[in-house]
Amino acid sequence: MSRVSRKVLTGIAGVVLVTASAASFADRGQWLHYGGNDRSNTRYSELKQIKTSNVHKLKVAWMHSLGSLETQESTPLVVGDTMYVTTSTGPRYVFALDAKTGKTKWAHQPEMPNDYFATVCCGLDNRGVAYSNGKIFFGRLDAKLVALDANTGKKLWTTTVENYRNGHAITSPPLIVNNLVVTGIAGGEYGIRGFIAAYDQETGEEVWKTYTIPGPGEPGNETWKGDSWKTGAGSTWGVGSYDPKLNMIYWSTSNAGPWGGHTRSIDSSEFGDLTNKWTASQLAFDADTGAIKWGYQFTPNDVWDYDGINEAVLYDLKIGGRTVPALMHADRNGFFYVLNRATGELISADPFVTVNWATHIDLKTGRPVEAANNEKRPQLGKWARNVCPNLIGGKNWSPMAYNPDTGLVYLPAFNMCMDIANKEEEYTPGRFYLASEFNLDMSGASGDHLAEFMAWDPVKKEKAWVINEDLPFVSGAMTTAGGLVFYGNQHGMLKAVNAKTGKVLWEFDVGTGIIQSPMTYTVDGKQYLAVVAGRSKGPPSFFGKIGQRVVDASPEGGILVVFEL
Amino acid sequence: MYGGILAVKPFSGLFTPAVVLAAGLFVLPLAASAADAELVNPYAGREDIVEEGGSLLNQYCSHCHGPWAVQGERPRDLRRLNLRYGDYAMSTFYTTVQNGRPPKGMPPWKGILEDDIVWKIYTFLQSVQVED
Repeated sequence: MSRVSRKVLTGIAGVVLVTASAASFADRGQWLHYGGNDRSNTRYSELKQIKTSNVHKLKVAWMHSLGSLETQESTPLVVGDTMYVTTSTGPRYVFALDAKTGKTKWAHQPEMPNDYFATVCCGLDNRGVAYSNGKIFFGRLDAKLVALDANTGKKLWTTTVENYRNGHAITSPPLIVNNLVVTGIAGGEYGIRGFIAAYDQETGEEVWKTYTIPGPGEPGNETWKGDSWKTGAGSTWGVGSYDPKLNMIYWSTSNAGPWGGHTRSIDSSEFGDLTNKWTASQLAFDADTGAIKWGYQFTPNDVWDYDGINEAVLYDLKIGGRTVPALMHADRNGFFYVLNRATGELISADPFVTVNWATHIDLKTGRPVEAANNEKRPQLGKWARNVCPNLIGGKNWSPMAYNPDTGLVYLPAFNMCMDIANKEEEYTPGRFYLASEFNLDMSGASGDHLAEFMAWDPVKKEKAWVINEDLPFVSGAMTTAGGLVFYGNQHGMLKAVNAKTGKVLWEFDVGTGIIQSPMTYTVDGKQYLAVVAGRSKGPPSFFGKIGQRVVDASPEGGILVVFEL
Repeated sequence: MYGGILAVKPFSGLFTPAVVLAAGLFVLPLAASAADAELVNPYAGREDIVEEGGSLLNQYCSHCHGPWAVQGERPRDLRRLNLRYGDYAMSTFYTTVQNGRPPKGMPPWKGILEDDIVWKIYTFLQSVQVED
């Protein structure tokens, strides 16, 4: 039963009969959190009925229309025999489905204002729900957090986390920690001040709220020029992880705002202490109080939109003969980081894609060593040319997976570069605030293919294998004890891959692009594979002709497809 | 709906009171035919403004409408303004930039983007219009 706490199990007992011996099997067959069956975001399932030798026999068991045509980024949860899945656009729906047949148990349609579309930067997404103790929790694009009765769909409470008209939004599911439901916030392109906030699961009342950017008098506020910290972003639109033993919450932060760094630091690589903490950083929080326990900044004085929100994957790795409580993170800036999650100590940082904005990360200081003479750092009115990776990153939010059987991380990477320059711009609440101009219509340095799905060895610090993909926005990964990795692409092809070798064993065309990881579960002792599909719609607009190719690769859509042997 | 917005908000700039009245009484295309007669792009035909206008579009609009107006989603393709709106292209552009179409994701830019910037962007867009 790995890291699932007793409290969570007690909550589930109302739905599934859990006995001491049956617990591990029933539990393994569920998918209780966004990133897998525990809160370490490994996206690893111990299920192995579907395995390398029979995966080619997969066939469709049932399908469900998501009723919305924007990008589909939800990871369904399975609790007992019920699947909970959200759709894009708000979400437009939260569905509870019979996980065996697809029959709808209930559907919740949030009542949303009709003007929030204008303050959401990058697609009308929603990445799913969290479950605890008979309740479903989800955030909305109008920056509200909602609790529903998991059995009936009845609304229990709604809390306004922030004002959406100033550019705040919630795109990812909250994190369940003890009696709390903890959410991040989006808005890094609107000059918000990032935070994570914890609410009581019973009442929706705020218990604590911690800003990622320190205020006046707090340590780190001196890393900002003047009042720029007020609009410095450091949003938290990704998902959190949790280590119950350390009682620490892990959340990482977005780009500094605006992208044009002359507004908030020194307009040069020689910016000294004006690093803009804690933007583009990994943070660890005390789960009871929200206090920041440690921080590590991936990209100080970020000017490339190397937004650091990618998920933290927690696993104890054997490195150099000792077992390290590791936190793995593949950053937009192109480096794969391994940190000690108890202390924040940097263990390794190595490029997993072509990187030229920095030569390396100095392991002593923890700081990147930037390319000489500001060659790759955009400045006010000065273009930096052919900067790799581009602002979509070496990897974006689509989640990676870690398989303890192979010791490999599976991740979707981009092979793209960019030109970028800073510009003057005034801050207006609720308006895009970038102070930047860029050209992303460029392929990368590693060939014509624009993306790679790769296996990365976090201990050897090298690629184990790679599958080239022609189009960017390859989906997240999911891996199983059946020796498999599953992922999809913007053509709508769902693939099963041998986790050791990278050999593609099975493919299925779901008809529209896939950007979120597939997931797996059991009902009545039988294993199923599920994927949501609906191609990306917002971010490709940034990419000119390359973006047009993504849009042309498949029609927009919204479908949940479930497979069985 | 947009006519209603025009009627209740105090208006300045290039719209005459007659246009405001028309916009309040009729749906957009009817109002627009009057507006097109009143609106003047001070940079019309100025090739020397095209690149600057494109750069401004890249800064303020490209996250939805694509760099140099190149992207793949048909409903927000600004290279199809003339094809779609014909004689009403200029007024539809100007009115939409001013008032936005919030339910479709277009924020209102009135009071944020000066007319000078708006017309430079329009001048660029006129250089990239497609035939079909």
